[in-house]
Amino acid sequence: MIDFQSGYILRPVNPAFIYFSLFCALLLNLLPIGNYGWVPDWLILCMVFWNIHQHRYVGVVWAFAFGLIMDVHNSDLLGLHAFSYSLVSYIAISWHRRITALTVLTQAFHLLPIFLLVSLFPVLVHWVLSGQLYWWALTGALQAVIEVMLWPLATRILLAPQRRPIDVDHNRPI
Amino acid sequence: MLIDFRYQALNPIRNNVNWLLRPLEYIMMAPRNFFEASSDYFTTRGTLDQENRQMKARQAELSLLANQSEYLQVENDNLRQLMDLQKQVSFKTLPVEILFNPPNPISQRVVINRGSSDGLKLGNPIANGDGILGQVVRIYDHSAEVSLLEDRDFAVPVQVARNGLRAAVFGAGRGNPLELRYLPVASDLEVGDILLTSGIDGVYPPGFAVAVITRIERNADKNSSNVFCVPVAPVNRYRQALALLYDPQWNAKASAPTAPGTTPSSAPGRRQTRTRGMQ
Repeated sequence: MIDFQSGYILRPVNPAFIYFSLFCALLLNLLPIGNYGWVPDWLILCMVFWNIHQHRYVGVVWAFAFGLIMDVHNSDLLGLHAFSYSLVSYIAISWHRRITALTVLTQAFHLLPIFLLVSLFPVLVHWVLSGQLYWWALTGALQAVIEVMLWPLATRILLAPQRRPIDVDHNRPI
Repeated sequence: MLIDFRYQALNPIRNNVNWLLRPLEYIMMAPRNFFEASSDYFTTRGTLDQENRQMKARQAELSLLANQSEYLQVENDNLRQLMDLQKQVSFKTLPVEILFNPPNPISQRVVINRGSSDGLKLGNPIANGDGILGQVVRIYDHSAEVSLLEDRDFAVPVQVARNGLRAAVFGAGRGNPLELRYLPVASDLEVGDILLTSGIDGVYPPGFAVAVITRIERNADKNSSNVFCVPVAPVNRYRQALALLYDPQWNAKASAPTAPGTTPSSAPGRRQTRTRGMQ
């Protein structure tokens, strides 16, 4: 796969690394930080990243499964995150060709609607079900902005194994 | 989502996912617990000394009160028997630890480390030394979710300690003061009144402190008053609490047999509007 940032061809991805990174993101989500709206959702960041870069390994089914886990953790209605994660990963997969061709910063801006959707989805569903819109719960938008700001970092970390040089000459570094 | 909302039919799935997830949650709690434990470890001798002295004074005070209250309890029981009133239900308590506060923009809940295998039941109140914290709303084998007083539309029937006026306290969402609803303008309330559980719903044992009135806005036009109060117990501060294993009293008279066709009620703590779809 071509890295549009540098123009080089990336090394093939290691599936074990994909699943390991998703697991780590899940663990980060389970950290007992407290009930704050702005805490970034590491899992969706990682999930969207792999949806865009390696959609053959991480698809909607994985998004659904992880969403189910987050529902149980957050004591939400069962299916709330499962639905929003799968919806978002579907959008990400259908946009992946366009987004990979952009620079990292532009990618981040293109992903803002995706992250906004997943952050505000619980509030919107609750609005539909009970007819009450919690304005203060819309601070979840901040979470989406933080996730967008984390996107370049996520790209750097998650693509690092693939950016390693193919043959290293130990005798003549550089 | 609709299936879960209306029928709670997906609880087995939830239980299984929870069973897998809980160990991971415990692992991720380790850094915080380690941090707290180490900061506890490095408290100075002076602080401990002072704390110890305070505890001793408090202990003496409480044991005096306990002696008195035992006497009063016996007297009360005798009087109740004389007057042919229903006996007060006694209940046990179970120490619980609050594990974490799940990130959820809609509700305000905590997860505790005791579940149905410890004898906890759906609807049991959770309190600490100061007063009521909340109520168990979802239960697993070894953990449970507790809805806090601040949770939106979480209602507790209360009684003003000063004059016995009955009302209901409602949560108004995170960070907002609790509200006392459905009260006429002329009702006898003052700022600083303490609200105790009245026990008429059968879910909460009577006489536990819930909230203190902080602000009253009387609205003569609409013959209503907005009364705001704050919880007595620090809802989001401590990790230790007590579960009151109080058997919900569904019938006004415990001895009266229920009619065979009628089930007492659905799960406690659920509002009737939500169970509409089930019948």
